[in-house]
Amino acid sequence: MGTDESATTATTRRLSPDWLLRDEIGLCPCGCVGKRRRGGFVEKTLSGVSGLVRGAMFSEDVAATPGLLQRIDARVKVVTLLGLLVVAAFLHSIAALATMYVVALVVASASRLSVRFFVARVWLFVPVFTGIVVLPATLNLVTPGTIVVPLGHWFGGPVGLTAEGLESAGLIVMRVAVSISLVVLLTLTTPWTRLLHALRSLRLPATVILVLAMAYRYLFHLLAAVEDMYTARRARTVVPDRDLRNGRRFVAASAGALFGKAYGLSEEVYLAMVARGFTGDVRLLAPDRVKRRDLAWCVACGGLGLVLLWGDRVLG
Amino acid sequence: MHIPDGYLSPETCAVMYGATAPFWVVAARRVRRVVKTRYVPLLALGAAYCFLVMMFNVPVPDGTTAHAVGAVLVAVLLGPWAAVIAVSVALAIQALFFGDGGVLAFGANCFNMAVVMPFVGYALYRAIAGRAFLTSPRRALAAGVGAYVGINAAALCAAIEFGLQPDLFYKTTATGGHVPLYAPFHLSQTIPAMLGAHLLVAGVVEFVLTVGVIAYLQRANLPILRINHPGLPDAAGQRVADDGRAVERRPRLRGIFIGLAGLVALVPLGLLASGGAFGEDSPSALDLRKYGLDAVPTGLQRYGDFWSSALFPGYDFEHGSHPNLGYYASAVLGTVLIAGVVVAGFRVAAVSRRRRDRRGGRDRDRADAGAEREPVGR
Repeated sequence: MGTDESATTATTRRLSPDWLLRDEIGLCPCGCVGKRRRGGFVEKTLSGVSGLVRGAMFSEDVAATPGLLQRIDARVKVVTLLGLLVVAAFLHSIAALATMYVVALVVASASRLSVRFFVARVWLFVPVFTGIVVLPATLNLVTPGTIVVPLGHWFGGPVGLTAEGLESAGLIVMRVAVSISLVVLLTLTTPWTRLLHALRSLRLPATVILVLAMAYRYLFHLLAAVEDMYTARRARTVVPDRDLRNGRRFVAASAGALFGKAYGLSEEVYLAMVARGFTGDVRLLAPDRVKRRDLAWCVACGGLGLVLLWGDRVLG
Repeated sequence: MHIPDGYLSPETCAVMYGATAPFWVVAARRVRRVVKTRYVPLLALGAAYCFLVMMFNVPVPDGTTAHAVGAVLVAVLLGPWAAVIAVSVALAIQALFFGDGGVLAFGANCFNMAVVMPFVGYALYRAIAGRAFLTSPRRALAAGVGAYVGINAAALCAAIEFGLQPDLFYKTTATGGHVPLYAPFHLSQTIPAMLGAHLLVAGVVEFVLTVGVIAYLQRANLPILRINHPGLPDAAGQRVADDGRAVERRPRLRGIFIGLAGLVALVPLGLLASGGAFGEDSPSALDLRKYGLDAVPTGLQRYGDFWSSALFPGYDFEHGSHPNLGYYASAVLGTVLIAGVVVAGFRVAAVSRRRRDRRGGRDRDRADAGAEREPVGR
């Protein structure tokens, strides 16, 4: 969760000031300032918190830049990109998936997203998680088949990478990359208020949208409380505590205190809602009308999906 | 355990959406009925809390950290149905806004972490905690065990979903080989891999966090625990009065008296038994040859009849005068004597405790006089 360092260099036009998105020098984990020290759980949680806020601010910035996808109606975007996600799940050949990835890259650059950032965001995640997980599956021990890269005799038989295993690994890696790219395209180019609103077009009940929206809004409120607790803890720390039991007690106590805060806040929010006339009915703003360019985008996505499915069937 | 898109076939994703949907519908109805219009902010804040619990890094040995899911914790605090919605919304925010976990795989992720985990964990929690009072250590431990088993059950589900993929969804190459289209590992590989990691690390982290939070709330914020446990006494020896306040409960002695009366009534059983226990009678009655002895040991001889002025020697008024009546009388008298000693002991303990409480209460009142008490739950 959160974004990597390249997030700060992705776009040239930003609403958030530079200094707010920059890492603090004193916190630099690469060791450029001061001695390198393995961050404890306090530092890790704090950097997680700041990464989350940074990611949210960054995506709001990107969503505000004028680009291809930013101009498309959010409902149309949700339906088409989710449709393409389903198409990607049904594709059976690496070539079709690779084509789809190239299209995603083109759309990203047309939406003023830095291609370098876009590629990094996907391919930093894919090798770390999917790559390592899938690697053993290329061996004939997991996926039997024709051995193309023999690795000698182990466990009383020849061991090596199989053609089937390699193709399967390539398929899953490409599929994960395409899927992440599509979701990143959707979420980075759509302000979350519009995205939530667009989820109505998936026939989600209005109550669900309201709960989602409020959860997202108060997430940042509670995040500030977490940051306060952990910053206070760090401020009180003279020498890092090596005792894990103390650390765990602190984490449990802060999680417990946070629940108390969340529950109290929910009561206050409820009273505020009642004071403003909330009776249990949820009403959302009326959506905009779908424009001609939205229809064109729909047709383009539908065509792409059909062509890819047809090509995939032909390629086998 | 957040499954990204691409690992599961679209068919599996559809099935998992279908399996989770009824839980969403029932959960929404039940929560709405219980908390009325209050459910919107409660669920929203619950979901935000769920999201943040997954961000808390718990220190584990070797200087590394791991994070928990917290579904069982939320189930214990707000009930399993509220947990279904809260965890689902948290997972939706992670998938949609932060790219953690897939969108197509959202149904599967919800099934594992928002349905299986809270329900399995909560059922176990209820079974272990029983009617234990609110501040009982057993309650915290039960929540921890529930969390440990719950996350492992969720991991098992994820492992089964992964493991079914290569056998169900593959394409055949020209040479007749099978190419798995999605997750390539078989059940015999996914189950040990997932359960190994969760039994050893993730489950322990979940256990530590859940026990810690419940224990913290038991110490510091009991009203939070009362949300999902109405009508439970706070501490041992209390009951909840009609107005919801906890009051001291008189210890229930009736059961003990019935049991004792039963034992007294069963006294004749002792008369029916044949033979004698070793050393119960006088030393002269010992069968010395049986124990390889030539004579009664001198110490036994000297002290065996030391206490000769008993009220009921041999459980009788006089030896052998009224065997049955004497046996009964000694049973009743013995019971009354022991009960009297125990009751007197408890009385003394209760009086001294009340005195101590009264002294402690005065001290506390003096300390509280200046400080205003903060309202609960803020």
